[in-house]
Amino acid sequence: MRLLLFSTIVLISISSCWTKPRPRPTTSYVHVIGNKPVYLGLDTAKKISYMNTALPVAAAGNIYAKGDRIYQLELGRGIHVIDNSVPSQAHRIGFITVNGSSQISIRDNYLYVNNYNDLVTIDISNPANITEVHRITNAFQDGLNNYYLAEPAEQGYYQCFSYYPDSVVVGWVKDSIWTSCFKN
Amino acid sequence: MKYSFSKIIIFLGFIILIYSCSKDSGSSDSLAANTGTTTGQGGSLARFTISGDYLYAVTNNSLYAYDIGDPANPVQTYMQDIGFSVETIYPYGDKLFIGTTTGLFIYSIATPSSPVRIGEATHARSCDPVVANDSIAFVTLKGNSNCGPAISGLYVHDIRNVLSPQLINTIPISSPEGLGLKESTLYVCCNTGGLKVFNVSNPVHPAEIRTITGAYFKDVIPFGDLLICYVSDGIMLYDISDPTNPVQVKMITNS
Repeated sequence: MRLLLFSTIVLISISSCWTKPRPRPTTSYVHVIGNKPVYLGLDTAKKISYMNTALPVAAAGNIYAKGDRIYQLELGRGIHVIDNSVPSQAHRIGFITVNGSSQISIRDNYLYVNNYNDLVTIDISNPANITEVHRITNAFQDGLNNYYLAEPAEQGYYQCFSYYPDSVVVGWVKDSIWTSCFKN
Repeated sequence: MKYSFSKIIIFLGFIILIYSCSKDSGSSDSLAANTGTTTGQGGSLARFTISGDYLYAVTNNSLYAYDIGDPANPVQTYMQDIGFSVETIYPYGDKLFIGTTTGLFIYSIATPSSPVRIGEATHARSCDPVVANDSIAFVTLKGNSNCGPAISGLYVHDIRNVLSPQLINTIPISSPEGLGLKESTLYVCCNTGGLKVFNVSNPVHPAEIRTITGAYFKDVIPFGDLLICYVSDGIMLYDISDPTNPVQVKMITNS
């Protein structure tokens, strides 16, 4: 009796494996010209620097005002600095590179910004020599890590990217790619 | 940034309060009375804000507090998962107003190092930046495919009892975004619909004074006598020495 039961169970389980072969995955890989991620090592990508040059605004983010300066986020790239000492002549004067940034706030001469998931404190007292003075690595454990460049800005096919612990996506270039990832 | 997120009465006392609180001359940085420290000003879409000696930050699901008493050395004092799809944070007095896709959360920062939720006004799923004072919270809700099904508009909440905010008025506006409050004038960014200027001296019935068109308005910072507007093509600066009659002084184009 037990043998019969056992045999039946074995037979059923075997047959269940055989009767319905699983359909092949229906992923549709295509060979197209699409966006390919550009990776940069985190050490380099997290470098804060300042350039005394006005850059055009491509991906405008939040604005912030303090004293005679206005700041505007360039999503994922950094912070435009605007001289507002004479509002009728206000103009961009420089750019603070902070990759993976989206939010800022300022107390005295210290600017707080997210640099990917890190909270970075930047001393802005000397505009010609803007320096990182403090960093809390992985301060933000959710949300802000969906940084702006994590996906290409435009619609279409892009090379599915991987998450690496030591590098991040800092941009996208057009290339011939073999992919199933599509941005709507 | 995609973000999501209702009534009132204003009394004489409130008006007196608003006027007594406004010190708008020259620079508009807020100067802490005792310490001589200065803090800048962000727009209503911000996720970072400074109140007192603390930097508060919201991520998609969490609220963080950092002690910046020593500004060069922030120290985290608080981190809490606070809910779903948090979008904006706005400080007023000893409170934080947090806009989420499901409602407005009010936190007490009477103990600045550890915020405590004291009130909540839930609403239909939407995007909702907020500005507030002691009595009223103005919230813009944007219902759309990304944000949720709420009816887009300006929602006015009586928050004199913060434990139980009451929706007292709703003014339909299509696609509202950021907003800013200067004394009894409220500026509401309406995307392609321009910038609407409301007299809110009677907050129960915000009175639309004018609409400024010609740009795609996303957010505003009333900064002393200057209104700094984040528009799709750049930054527009308006003189608001007469708050109800903004006069354009500069357009800084993106290119």
